[in-house]
Parts: sequence; C-alpha cells; structure tokens
Amino acid sequence: MNFGRYMLTFSRFGNLAAFTSAVLLVVAGVFVTLYEEELYRNQQVQETRVQAQILAASVTAALVFNDRMAAQEYVDALQANAQVEAAGVYDTAGVRIAGFVRNGTEGPPLRLAPTAKVLISGNVVVTAPILQATTVLGTVYLRISLEAFARRAVRYFGIFLLVAMAVLVVFVASGAQRALTRANDALTGQARELAGTNVKLQDEMEQRAKAEEALRQSQKMEAIGQLSGGIAHDFNNLLTIIKGNLQLMHRRIGQGQTDVSRYIDAAMEGVNRAANLTQRILAFSRRQPLTPKALSISDLLANMRDLLRHSVGTQVQIEMRLDADWLALCDANQMENVVLNLAINASDAMPEGGRLLIATTNRPSLAAFAAADYVEIEVSDTGIGMTAEVKQRAVDPFFTTKPQGKGTGLGLSMTFGYVQQSGGHLEIDSEPGKGTTIRILMPRYHQQSLSVSA
Amino acid sequence: MRSSVATIMLAGLVSISCNLARAAPSLESGIKAAFLYKFVPFIEWPAGAFDTATSPVNICVFGSDAVTDVIGDVVASQRVDQRPVNVRHLTTVTRNNGCHVLYVAGPDGAAAEEALSSVQGTPILTVTDALELPNASPIIRFVLQANRVSFDIDQAAAAQNTLTVSSKLLSLARRVRPRP
Repeated sequence: MNFGRYMLTFSRFGNLAAFTSAVLLVVAGVFVTLYEEELYRNQQVQETRVQAQILAASVTAALVFNDRMAAQEYVDALQANAQVEAAGVYDTAGVRIAGFVRNGTEGPPLRLAPTAKVLISGNVVVTAPILQATTVLGTVYLRISLEAFARRAVRYFGIFLLVAMAVLVVFVASGAQRALTRANDALTGQARELAGTNVKLQDEMEQRAKAEEALRQSQKMEAIGQLSGGIAHDFNNLLTIIKGNLQLMHRRIGQGQTDVSRYIDAAMEGVNRAANLTQRILAFSRRQPLTPKALSISDLLANMRDLLRHSVGTQVQIEMRLDADWLALCDANQMENVVLNLAINASDAMPEGGRLLIATTNRPSLAAFAAADYVEIEVSDTGIGMTAEVKQRAVDPFFTTKPQGKGTGLGLSMTFGYVQQSGGHLEIDSEPGKGTTIRILMPRYHQQSLSVSA
Repeated sequence: MRSSVATIMLAGLVSISCNLARAAPSLESGIKAAFLYKFVPFIEWPAGAFDTATSPVNICVFGSDAVTDVIGDVVASQRVDQRPVNVRHLTTVTRNNGCHVLYVAGPDGAAAEEALSSVQGTPILTVTDALELPNASPIIRFVLQANRVSFDIDQAAAAQNTLTVSSKLLSLARRVRPRP
C-alpha cells in the first residue's frame, strides 16, 4: 500500500519533471532564437560597417580629384552584394556625388550630414567618414537589407523543429517511464500474490501429508472396527467352548470322576485360539515396522480364514483355493492387511451377497510375467464390478466409490504401494456387473525356509 | 577648419569647372593647380625627403603658362595633412633643389626637357601639362578627357625617381604606363 502510494507519487513527480523539462527546453529554444537574431543583427551591422569603411577608403582619391565616375564605379561595385540596398558618397558639404539604389528601395539621401552613425530597423544604415589621414573628405552612406523575416523564420524553424523533437522525446520518455512503472507495479503485485499462493500451497501440502498419515492409521482402525463385531462373536464362541468344557469338567469332578483331561485339552484349545486371535488383532492394530520374511502365502491365508469370515459378513460365501507352495518374501502383517482390505472391498461390492474366491497359484517365469517366478494371489468377487474410469483411478490415493465415512480411498492405494515396494505387480480385471478380480504377483523366494507361519 | 573650408570652396570650384572647362580656361588651370597639391597624399616619398612630419611640401614651377599664373592663388595657405604648402617659381632647375613637386611648363620645350632630365632619379614628382616632350617623361601629365581634367601616370618614371604612386590615384588616371 505504502509502496503503491510511493510509486504514484513518483509517477506524478515524473509527470512534473517531464513538463518542467519541456518548458525549459522551449525557453532555451526561444533564448537561442533571440540570441541568434541578435547575433545576426550584430554581424550584419559589423559587415555593413566594414563595407562602408572599405568604400570610404576606396573613394578618397576620387573625392579629392572630384572624379564622380570613379566614385560611381566604386559604389556600383557594391551591387555585387545583393544585400546592399543603397549606397552613397558625399563630399564635405554633404552633397551626394555618387550613389546607387537597388530597384524598389528608397535611394540614398541627396544630402547627408557628415556624421558617423548606425541605424537598425528593417535594415542597417551605416554612415562613415571618408578620411585622408586626419582630414575629413566626406561621408559614405550604406544601407543593407536584413534578411527578410520569412527567411530568418525558416532558419529559426530548424531550431523550433529541434526543440519540438526534444520536447516530444521528453514526453515519450516520460510516458514510457510511466508505462514501465505501471508494468513494474503489476509485476510486483503478481509476484506478491504468487509468493502468497506458494506459501498457502506449501501449507496445504503439509496439512495433506499429515491428513494422509492420519487417514492411513484411521483406515486401519476402520478395518478393525469392521472386524470387531465378528471378532466379538468369535471370541464369545471360544469363551462358550471354554465355559462348556469347564462346566463339564466341574460336573465330572462332582461325580467323582478324574478323567477330565479331554475337557482340559478342549478348554486349552479354546484359550489358545482366543489368545491367538487377540494376538493377531493387536499385531494388526499396532504400528509395526515391515519385517519381510520368507513365508508361504497359502499358509498365511489359511490362517486368516476365520478373520476373513468375520469381516465379510454371512451373506458372502468364502471359497479358498490355496494351490501355491512356493515361498515369497514379505511382511506377514502387511500381507494379511492387503488380503483383508481386498476381502472387505469385495464384500462391499456384493451388498446382496455373493461368492468370494481367494486363491494362490505358482506362476513360473514362462507365464504372465516373463521376468521371474511369482506367487499369485487372486481375490475375486461376483459383485457390481468397476467402470473403466473407476478401474483406471482405483489405485489413486483418496479415490473411493464408497459412501462418505465408509471408505478412505487408501485401501487399494496402500496395497499397490506395498506390492510395488516388494517388487511385485498388481492387476485389476473388472467390468460393471461382472465382478472384480484382483491379482497380486509376489516374487518367489528361492531359498528353502523352515519357518512357515504367521 | 580653414583647410576644410578651403576644400569646400575648392569642391564648389571644381564642380563648376567641370562644366565650364572649355568656356573658362582659367578655371581649368585652377583645377590643374589644385591637383598639384592634391597629388601629394597619394605619393610616397622615400624616407628623408621630408625632415619632419610637419615639414612643408615644396611645389616648384618652372616656365610659364596658365597654371603657373594661378597656382600662387590656389595653393595659398593650403595644407596637406599637417604640412603647409609652399610654392616656388624656379628660373633654373638643379638637382637637390628641395622641391617635392616640380611642375614644368612651356613655352620652351627644350628647356622643359632639360629641366625634367636634370631632376631624373631624384625624389621629385614631375608634372607637365599638354607639352609634347619626345625626350623626357614626366611622372604625371594632365590631359583633358570629356571636358574633364584627368591625367596619365608613368609608373616607370615614378620608379626612376624612387616614388611610389598610390593605387587609388592610379585608378583615377586615364592611362598608366606600368613599371618596367
């Protein structure tokens, strides 16, 4: 704001400076013209005086010997100078003895008092004494026309033109300066806006990164939330098993029988299963670093059967065909997370119920991807499928087709990221109304490993 | 002052004389007589011809004619610049006679020739009027041209007499014989 006002003041000052310069130039032009005029007049007077003196010196003898013809010759010689209007030679009595007048101008006076003088009006009149040593022999009269004003004006027109051009240059320069100042102003404003926008953008980027982080976590918690209903039911069943066995054991002991190991084993089995379930939920919900291990994905998925069943609801039939027996190097928790996400997506795509197929296959290098051996995990549903557009954007972060509050748009995105990190590939095969098949290819782990578990 | 008055008078005289030269020979002679001292400012004598800047100009006349008759009256009390003008009538002409201008008149042509030759080579302006002198050459000779008094100038003779004639005077001459 202050800057703008300063610029405005500067621009006004620029205007004033330009105007002042123009006025100064014009004044200077007028002065130069007047000076030129004065100079011209002085020069003319000087020239006339010199010519008069030359004439005076030339005609002395003619005057002394009263030779009018000789005097006239000298006077006539002045005709060569076109500026000479009239000339005359006078004796001591002031009588003209020779004279010359140019056509259309006034002739030299018939009589002239012997005084030296200079007159300037439209022309220059000079009278000079004719001297022989110190004796005055007479007077010469010389009238020279000043250049016509029109002709002088033409000469001064050059000065005027120069001044006009200088003034024009001053105004053009000042105009250009103003335009430049305005452009500069606009540019400064734009730069300021741009800087502001940049700061805002960086703010937004930071906020978005934070939100992404938060969403990633909440996405996991959402999955847990979805799970918790089913898990609670499962947990209840386990408790029922334990409780039933304990009650049976109690009754047997009350009957005096000691053979209760069967019930203890059954209860322990229930406890173990409950502990295992708890362990897995904890592992899932905690932020654990990636710890890739060589494992059998088929075994991993087999152990997830209960978890999956609880996540997808009862109207969805789960079928598992776990044919792969190759090992792959991956983080068990993350892999579970991936499959769980895909299963939940599949069940969401089948609100009316349907069939969920989870299959694993060995994919030797000669098959789909020529680069190496892969273990393929296929999650396939009979749901509503995806349009081409949705399919294209399926792995974009925050892209979701689920109603607000249900999906984060991060499930497939995170799956894709994880698979790529692990050197694998992800493939979506879907058409509207024909269900969706998602294939994940994880590189095969060649070294034989003993640990096969999650 | 006196000089300027005299000049005015003379100018009047001269202007009248122009028209009356034929009718009144005495006026013509008066003009010629006046010319004798009027030549002086246009002639440059060698250094030493005059003692000082105010030394008089000596105009000498030899023989007798209309000019010698009136010269005394015409030149009387005239001045050339700061110099007074004296007129001397000579009966014999010798070298180193103190004359600056020598007017040689008739009627004896042989005597005139002798007089002129006797001052040849000395700084004297020699003037004659209408004399036929086959054996002598004066520096200035009066002639009549279109009823006006004019003159011829012999530059060679002037050079012989170590005199320099101003170009202004030369420009008025009817005829100029150049230097050799």
